[in-house]
Amino acid sequence: MKVTFPHLGNAYIAIEALLEGLGHHPITPPLGTRRTLEWGGKYSPEETCLPFKTILGNMLEGIELGADSVYMIGGWGPCRLGYYAEIQRIILHDLGKQVEFVTLEVPQKNYTVAYRRLRNVLGNTNVARLARGCRLAWAKLKVVEQAETIALQVRPREKWRGATSLFLEEQLQKLRNAQSMGAVRRIEIDTTEGLRSLSDDSTPDLLRVGIIGEIYTVVEPFVNSRLEERLGYLGVEVVRTISLRRWVEEHIFLNALGLYNYRSLKRSAQGYLHRFVGGHGLESVARSVDLAKENLDGIIHIFPMSCMPEIMAQAILPEVSRDMQIPILSLIVDEHAGETGFQTRLEAFVDLLQRRVRVGECLQEERCTLG
Amino acid sequence: MLRSETREVVSIRQIGIPRALYYFHYHTLWRRFFEELGFEVVVSPPTNKQILDGGLTTCVDGACLAIKSYVGHSLALVAQDVDYLFVPQITSVARQEYTCPYFLGLPDVLRQYVPPSTQLLSPVLDARKRETALGESFVRLGLSFARPTTVRRAWNQALEQQRVEEESAHQVCAEKHRLQILILGPRYLIDDPFLNGNLCERLRSMGAQVYTASQVPEERSWYLNRSLAKRLFWSSARRSMGAVEYFLDRLDGVISLSPFGCGAESLVGVLIARRARERSVPMMALNIDEHSSEVGMVTRLEAFCDLIERKKSG
Repeated sequence: MKVTFPHLGNAYIAIEALLEGLGHHPITPPLGTRRTLEWGGKYSPEETCLPFKTILGNMLEGIELGADSVYMIGGWGPCRLGYYAEIQRIILHDLGKQVEFVTLEVPQKNYTVAYRRLRNVLGNTNVARLARGCRLAWAKLKVVEQAETIALQVRPREKWRGATSLFLEEQLQKLRNAQSMGAVRRIEIDTTEGLRSLSDDSTPDLLRVGIIGEIYTVVEPFVNSRLEERLGYLGVEVVRTISLRRWVEEHIFLNALGLYNYRSLKRSAQGYLHRFVGGHGLESVARSVDLAKENLDGIIHIFPMSCMPEIMAQAILPEVSRDMQIPILSLIVDEHAGETGFQTRLEAFVDLLQRRVRVGECLQEERCTLG
Repeated sequence: MLRSETREVVSIRQIGIPRALYYFHYHTLWRRFFEELGFEVVVSPPTNKQILDGGLTTCVDGACLAIKSYVGHSLALVAQDVDYLFVPQITSVARQEYTCPYFLGLPDVLRQYVPPSTQLLSPVLDARKRETALGESFVRLGLSFARPTTVRRAWNQALEQQRVEEESAHQVCAEKHRLQILILGPRYLIDDPFLNGNLCERLRSMGAQVYTASQVPEERSWYLNRSLAKRLFWSSARRSMGAVEYFLDRLDGVISLSPFGCGAESLVGVLIARRARERSVPMMALNIDEHSSEVGMVTRLEAFCDLIERKKSG
């Protein structure tokens, strides 16, 4: 079957490998553009959050490319994401698209439907091929994340502007086409070394800023207007707290088995937020506390407009900011977010952080001379 | 003798309950329970401009109108100097369902706005696994104020009174009215005339019989949701969907009321609109936030009623 799926950052590289392992033909929708959003937004209920609209746009563009199946993850609340798939299925159905819509979630009752769905997902494949696909997908996801993390450190130090992004993109395309574990490993080494060689080691100390928030807006560059790149060019080393691999492990596997218990998150968020509030709300609060303890210079909290769990986090973050003496900038994105406004706010935030560092240094010098 | 009297006076403590959110579902239960435990229950006055403004200026701007109103009510109670503030953390009120992500973090958010002199009572109410867990939370809370037998009795009496009240709400009066209109949405909007611009009264004065989801017995609501391909996991959304099915045959129109930015309503709205379209029942979605003007709403209501009348007269 020809399967299309929504984008989540660079995860498509791994998803393609996985789908091939399952015996399907993956149809990757084009990376998000204005058209994706307009198309998705046209058929979405107006008040849903931005991810819903871009994801629907991805699906429509995938179907346009000839897909006959759509894969999407589901869930059982309290975040809206759990019901996205069902509404998107209905919207596609009402638009007259003849597609098989498969929601990947832990079944509750309705086990016959779930079994049929599973038969469907396990297409024309065998155990060996499936195992190979899973292994390849996991390895590719690891390389993607590793490369992205190194790029975050290299970008503010790069020798000429844009080199990191260009090289990273090139390597990711090579990775996408890699068919064996050996090839993946070679690309991993090439990428790591290549990226490191782009770094100018004479760069003075840089500001370090952490990014927290709702996973889709953190990871998907189209939705966050390439936030990480923008910060890199402003001379900021970005620390990402959200890892796709960890998300898959914790939220998909462990949660499905009922083993995920948020204990370490709750420990971090102690005194601020004591309960899971759906989505990444608890994560945002917990990670901001962790980042503040790591002596970062600032935190950027990004989430889609009307995202309920993150609004709860946003209500609590000022307290963290006050207690921990760390500036936190909240960025809320929707389909009307303009790039210029975004850039202005980032520049202002970075200016503020630089000033804070300078003032701090002056104070310290004064103290030294006095002492 | 004198000493025991003074102790008696001291032990009458005031507990404040904000008149917002799930107060509208459970006010009977909560009031009776705390009164039986020997508290003086203070409920904040019905929402007014001053209360709402207090919430608007304090609460984070992305939250929905109902949450902002809740913060306003809590602050009003704090101003009245109550000893305790009852801010339950309502995760779920029915099996396998959630209320809303906002409710989950509410006590943690409120703690920032409330001075330390006011103690927050926030039991975790989570009926996702079993519904008896609700009672257990209340009993556990009560045990820090009274003896086990008193608490047990207080809970049973409160529960009984709540049950009687809910059942009386299920009786739908069969008066003859020109229009039969169902108002959907969270109950804390429908029952708060200040927030919804007096919607129900206005409709009644236009000669409409108003139905709401609270008139549908819970078991019927569950049952009527069976046709959905995927069950809804928010209680308010499930009740709305159940109410549509329950009343659909006699309805002339459906009004879906939701606070701006409400996640559950934004999705279930699609299902409701689809069902209404199938049966060609006109539907109007009213979105409410702090900028809603009553005049604009009245115009829309009148237009909607006119449309229904025209449709009825063929």
